[in-house]
Amino acid sequence: MFSYYLRLAWISILRHWGLSLLMICAIGLGIGAAMTTITVNYLMSANPIPEKSAQLYYVQLDSWDVNDPFDDGLNPPDQLTYTDSTNLMLAKQAFRQNVQTQAFGVIEPEDPEMLPLIVNGRANSADFFPMFNVPFIYGSGWSNKSDESKEFVVVLSKATNDKLFGGADSVGKSIKLEGNMLRVVGVIDNWQPKPRFYDITTGAFNDSEDVFVPFHLIADEKISRSGNTNCWKPSGDGFQAFLASECIWTQFWVELKTEQDKADYQQFLNAYVQEQKQFGRFQRPLDNRLSHVMQWLESQEVVADDAQMMMAMSLMFLLVCLLNTVGLLLAKFLGKAPEIGLRQALGASKRTLFSQYIIESACIGILGGLLGLTLAFIGLKSVESLYGDYMKGLASLDTNMAISAVVLALVSTILAGLYPTWRACNIQPAQQLKSQ
Amino acid sequence: MLIMKNINKIFQTADIQTHALRDFCLQVNEGDFVSVTGPSGSGKTTFLNIAGLLETFSNGEFLLDGEDVGKLNDNGRSRMRNEKIGFIFQGFNLIPDLNLYDNVDVPLRYRGFNAKERKFRIEQNLERVGLASRMKHLPSQLSGGQQQRVAIARALATDPRFLLADEPTGNLDSEMAQSVMSLLEDINQQGTTIIMVTHDAQLAQRAKRTIQVKDGKVSELENISRQHNQAIA
Amino acid sequence: MLETGLILRALARNKIGALLIALQIALTMTIMVNAIFMIQDRQQQMQRKSGLDEKNSFYLTNTVFGQDYNIQAHLQTDLHTIRNTPGVVDAIQINAIPLSSSGWSMALQHEPGEDKDAVGTAIYMVDDHAINSMGLTLVAGANFQPEDVELRKEGQSTWPAKTIITQAFAENLYPDNWQSAVGKTVYISQTQPIQIIGIVAALQAPWNGWNGVERSMLVPFQRESKGSYYFIRTEAGRRDELMPIIEKTLAESDKKRIIRRVTTIEDTRERSYRQHNATNKILTTVVITLTLITGFGIVGLAIFSINRRTKQIGTRRALGATKGQIMRYFMMENFIISTFGIIIGCFGAVALNMWLVNTFNLSPISFQLVAFGVITLFIVGQLAVLYPARKAAMIAPATATRTI
Repeated sequence: MFSYYLRLAWISILRHWGLSLLMICAIGLGIGAAMTTITVNYLMSANPIPEKSAQLYYVQLDSWDVNDPFDDGLNPPDQLTYTDSTNLMLAKQAFRQNVQTQAFGVIEPEDPEMLPLIVNGRANSADFFPMFNVPFIYGSGWSNKSDESKEFVVVLSKATNDKLFGGADSVGKSIKLEGNMLRVVGVIDNWQPKPRFYDITTGAFNDSEDVFVPFHLIADEKISRSGNTNCWKPSGDGFQAFLASECIWTQFWVELKTEQDKADYQQFLNAYVQEQKQFGRFQRPLDNRLSHVMQWLESQEVVADDAQMMMAMSLMFLLVCLLNTVGLLLAKFLGKAPEIGLRQALGASKRTLFSQYIIESACIGILGGLLGLTLAFIGLKSVESLYGDYMKGLASLDTNMAISAVVLALVSTILAGLYPTWRACNIQPAQQLKSQ
Repeated sequence: MLIMKNINKIFQTADIQTHALRDFCLQVNEGDFVSVTGPSGSGKTTFLNIAGLLETFSNGEFLLDGEDVGKLNDNGRSRMRNEKIGFIFQGFNLIPDLNLYDNVDVPLRYRGFNAKERKFRIEQNLERVGLASRMKHLPSQLSGGQQQRVAIARALATDPRFLLADEPTGNLDSEMAQSVMSLLEDINQQGTTIIMVTHDAQLAQRAKRTIQVKDGKVSELENISRQHNQAIA
Repeated sequence: MLETGLILRALARNKIGALLIALQIALTMTIMVNAIFMIQDRQQQMQRKSGLDEKNSFYLTNTVFGQDYNIQAHLQTDLHTIRNTPGVVDAIQINAIPLSSSGWSMALQHEPGEDKDAVGTAIYMVDDHAINSMGLTLVAGANFQPEDVELRKEGQSTWPAKTIITQAFAENLYPDNWQSAVGKTVYISQTQPIQIIGIVAALQAPWNGWNGVERSMLVPFQRESKGSYYFIRTEAGRRDELMPIIEKTLAESDKKRIIRRVTTIEDTRERSYRQHNATNKILTTVVITLTLITGFGIVGLAIFSINRRTKQIGTRRALGATKGQIMRYFMMENFIISTFGIIIGCFGAVALNMWLVNTFNLSPISFQLVAFGVITLFIVGQLAVLYPARKAAMIAPATATRTI
């Protein structure tokens, strides 16, 4: 029977090709628009490190101005002062801890023929690499010991290693960064978490850095820092004054294995702030936060307003397309009233009629879904080219999304077809035949 | 008075010309009740369509109440249908979405009568066909005979000079057919000219005058003398 | 108007069909009005003037990596070289570029002290050539003198004695009379006095999304820093020709630094508003497609309902309806459905707007825009039904006598 219904559906679609085309286009456009925006939102709000996102916590302490609270008092500052992150590092109260900031510098290649290379860098602690599951092709990150003894080491990205060493294993070799000779200890494999959760403050969808160096290079003024700095109190002259100031410019992550560890760490943070209050710091009420990765992304509103607005719009757009389809299907099925009457007279039950027309709806849904998939693909391509770097890596369809597109089309068209089908099944055969 | 002189109706398809009417001549006088019979495909429906101004003709002359129909444009024909002609169809052609009152109202709206006038006419005519009590019913709630009576009420509401009936009893059983025929006779008695197309010879006999159409021509005139004699007497 | 009652009664018997079209129109209206609103909002933002001579300006970054490098001496040489290149109007070293989305901010306050209210502003560190280099218009007070310009060390926390601010900033500080700002002393970094010596008509901050984007101040500083920008203004029409020349001259004069990102201000503006532009294009496409879908939906449904009513229309014709009357019937029917949909749409548009206002801090839509939506959708509805209505009017009256 199924193939018979399919054949009937096909005949009906061809017979009313104008109407069918209109429905397929409407569903296609609706699905295309919805899938484009859903994909962008889905990728923006993706979990970049699903295996341990609930164990990585971003630390916030409210060290801000008592007269003029940060973010109008809604959230504590989004970074820490150098003083606080150094203190937390030294306390070593978490399973792993990492202090970091963005850095930049120029690499002078050994080969005088090669042009100097400006690189984006990250200055971080040894725990950064195991904490964020950073994959290595050669070597590994540096150790806590080398942090303590302030060794001059560096981890390169794959791209940087390709440029400087032609992709060869460079572990043990040295590079000259800002006049400092740094020993290469590891080369990272391709690693571009989206969103780049470990530092939202400098752009949630930026690429990861070209080089990673120990944080002490910043404190010792061996390399320049970049990224955001926010001050509420004048800091005084010179770099040492700046380090001791209330300016916030460091980010601090901890890895905590259990809920108990988290509770303990929270307690530790509160005790730390209480202690600091004695030095006249932290005059605001206690507001220390530990946010795991997804909470942190959520609180920093990583998903762009534009993307959310467009998703809302495109879902409404899909709804219009579906209403359109309901109307057209209704018109189509009711237009077949005489045929339905005749079929009933020839022995069709309501159930068989129902199957027949639902299958016809489903066929239109699948065709619309396939068109929608194509349109979503084109849509994402144009989103990518329109937005440029901003949407890089955020506009690609994976298999999941492709399947969802067709399923969404199918389900929504079947839903759209329910009412028209129900109406069609309830046509009174006697009346139809009489008027013939 | 309806006068047709040498009316031709030719249907042109890609390679075939069909003469639906061939030098068709007919005169219908005021107050007449003419029945038109003929086999299927003889051209009687074409004749009715042309007589009712539903279709145009290829050539010839057609005067309706002294007006040259051939010179009217589409809007003119619409106006004339509305003012001078009432239609009764085999399939009743009531508008299923509208109740009886609104159905009778349709031509009155097109005529542009005011509300009071329309109400009076609708009620008067529904009364006349014996359905005044069911004004708010939908056509689907009526029997075939009743539906045809509504159609007749609708046709009469504009006080037409001519009533064109196309197989008015074709979809009805004999009892209902008889009652519809009596109604038509009553209407004719009151002065409305009726032209009725039918293939039922028995019904045709009840008209004052019967013509037969064959191959697009008026081929035979019957019992005209009887009617005329009566009229003269 | 004649048949309104009849149409309404006929529609009442086919509620669902009419309701579907009405809902479509309502949603279309909701989306259309809000999308156009968002487009207009962005367009207004994009049309704001940066204050720069955008057509004839460009900038580049100068990154020093050599050790024991005399930054100060090289800065003077570089500026001298650039300023004396034929075709260059003027050039400065600057710490941030308007529209580039990265820069420095500070706050000024009327009285010194930690707990006093301060107004945020973008800060541009420049010398006395700034007004000429950037193409600014001085509307009150005076420009910096060469002797005002100080050298700023890395990490220095003191500020010069003088500043020039934008008119918008002056209006913010002195709402009663912005011109009175000239000569006034305000406080930077909470406690340091700084005197306003001049006001420029406009100069935007680097962040186009900031609500204080029109507030900027210039301070006479030359920075002793390893990374800085040179901002260069050329004679009209000579920008593109001079960009590679200056890049090459600077790069070759000294190998201990990297000259990068030679960028026109026009490109900077394009990049700055790229997201706005992209969003606008997408929204425009959405509005157009949506209108088309709704329009075609109306066409499809109308054709279908006319096909179903062929005999009925023929009968009406037989009963004396003119072609015009038949057309008017369907146009009127659509008008009634549209009116219903548009009324719901007005509420929908306002409701969606309220949600957008609450969630994304947009401003409320204007009455004109809603009126525009109403008129557009009436027109779309009438246009969409025009073809089916004509088709209906063409139905031959003889259809009435056909048995099937």
